Amino acid sequence: MKKIILILIAFSVLFGLSSVFIVDETEQIVILQLGKPVRNITKPGLNIKLPFPFQEKITFDNRLLEYDSPPEEILSKDKKTLIVDNYVRWKIVDPLQFLKTVQAIPTALSRMDDIVYSELRRELGTHDMVEIITDNREEIMEVITTASNIATKDYGIEVIDVRIRRVDLPNENEESIYARMDAERKRQANKFRSEGEEEAQKIRASTEKDKTIILADSYKQAERIRGEGDAIAVDVYAKSYSADTKFYEFVRTLDTYKKIIDDKTTLVLPSNSGLFKLLLEK
Amino acid sequence: MQYKRIIVGDQEIKVPSLSLGALPIAGLALLIWLLSGVYIVGPDEVGVVQTFGKYSRAAQSGLNYHFPYPIEKVSTPKVTEVKRVEIGFRTVGKNQYQTIERESLMLTGDENIVDAEMIVQYKIKDPVAYTFNFIKPELTVREASEASLRTVIGRHNIDEALTSGKFMIQEEAKELIQNILDKYNTGILIVAVQLQDVSPPSQVIAAFKDVASAKEDKNRMINQAEGYRNDVIPKARGEGQAMIREAEGYKEARIARAEGDVFKFNAVLKEYRKAKGVTETRMYLETIEEILQNKEKILVPDGEGGGNLINLLNLKAKGDK
Repeated sequence: MKKIILILIAFSVLFGLSSVFIVDETEQIVILQLGKPVRNITKPGLNIKLPFPFQEKITFDNRLLEYDSPPEEILSKDKKTLIVDNYVRWKIVDPLQFLKTVQAIPTALSRMDDIVYSELRRELGTHDMVEIITDNREEIMEVITTASNIATKDYGIEVIDVRIRRVDLPNENEESIYARMDAERKRQANKFRSEGEEEAQKIRASTEKDKTIILADSYKQAERIRGEGDAIAVDVYAKSYSADTKFYEFVRTLDTYKKIIDDKTTLVLPSNSGLFKLLLEK
Repeated sequence: MQYKRIIVGDQEIKVPSLSLGALPIAGLALLIWLLSGVYIVGPDEVGVVQTFGKYSRAAQSGLNYHFPYPIEKVSTPKVTEVKRVEIGFRTVGKNQYQTIERESLMLTGDENIVDAEMIVQYKIKDPVAYTFNFIKPELTVREASEASLRTVIGRHNIDEALTSGKFMIQEEAKELIQNILDKYNTGILIVAVQLQDVSPPSQVIAAFKDVASAKEDKNRMINQAEGYRNDVIPKARGEGQAMIREAEGYKEARIARAEGDVFKFNAVLKEYRKAKGVTETRMYLETIEEILQNKEKILVPDGEGGGNLINLLNLKAKGDK
């Protein structure tokens, strides 16, 4: 009798404990009734269920979960091979459905991988490589996320974000990009050097031109000034000498004698000239 | 253990007596249990308290109390601490860095490849969201940062990425990372994004450096030519000015000479007019005197023919030898 009472007390305590439980902020619960999933508890707090073995609970994560799929080779619309490394952020939104369809996370990940990969492949196949790399990346990821989300709904999963972490080219394509970059830079370097030569030539040529002009201009001015000088001199001479042309001729002739007869001159003079007339008369 | 003996009908059962000796032990256990709810929130932390698993309140720094487990529990994330993730490299020691090419090499908008490294600093802005909403905070920030940097670099061409666009890329990346983290409802705030180093990949770096030196060469060539110009033009100007000055000198001299000549002529003319014949003869003789002085002179008698004169000159030439 005493034993029976003790056993009863122990049982009721166990019953009580197995029917009251805490749901954490980070958890969500599925209640199984005799092994059959019957309801979801997604709100945190204190909860009650029928005691074991009538009902039991299975706990799932309520947080945003991550899945990093391995890099995949994908063909773009313009038939270029891209190595796409993407990751997925997802959540269990309906644990009951999740439990019924995929049971546990590893199965869920493999289903999700299939879905996301096929969406990725399909969507990237409709874009050229340039679009994938440049402006459209955000939109493309949006489309893939939405499409994946529709497909994973049946598993009680919501795909929050499919994000392309890296898009790279296969090694051999990278080599050809490097070759192109190299050529492009060499072209630029050559252009700079040629431009330098061109500019320098231009400057030198214009220098020569300016020099010639400056000198010619100066010559022009100089000659003009000389001419002025000559003109004034002529005028001065003319004005003065025309006062007595004969005398000028006489004086100028004497001057000329002085200038043209120098030390080297040997004079042969006829003795009957005016000068020596007196010398020989006697 | 003491027992009370109770007679029920014809049976006697022993019941453990709750003596006063057991009470203090139970009381002490209760006290310890209650005291287990005392906790300290550090100055850099916030206490996030859950009551029966549900978030109930935030606790500020200092001594705090929550109902003991399993009724309440607390976690204390460090909200002022700034954490960082490195993209494209890792700090391996003091001032020692290791490049991770797998992360740092990325495609630009014009299908070139650059090597970009970035530091992202973040802290907790919403401790509740940070504690409950997601797993693997560092990985989350890293993945979002890497995806964002690549997206942003993909929007720019290589020259922007290498030079002028750096600041813009940094700002765009920061915005994008924050957007992603907000979408995941992480409660994380991106404090700063620093684009460390954007450089051409090692395979082509020589060609890029050569472009820089070609630019220098260009400038050097232009500078040399300018130097030449700066040398030649002033010299030419100087030369030109010299020509002009010389001509001016010539002009002045020519005029002065003319005036001098004229002055002299006028003076002589004035005298001449006073006594024309005498003056003329005097001037003539004076000139002849001046000319014929100290000069070799050969006087030829009247009527002598040219042949004799030639002989005479030959004779003289022989005598000189």
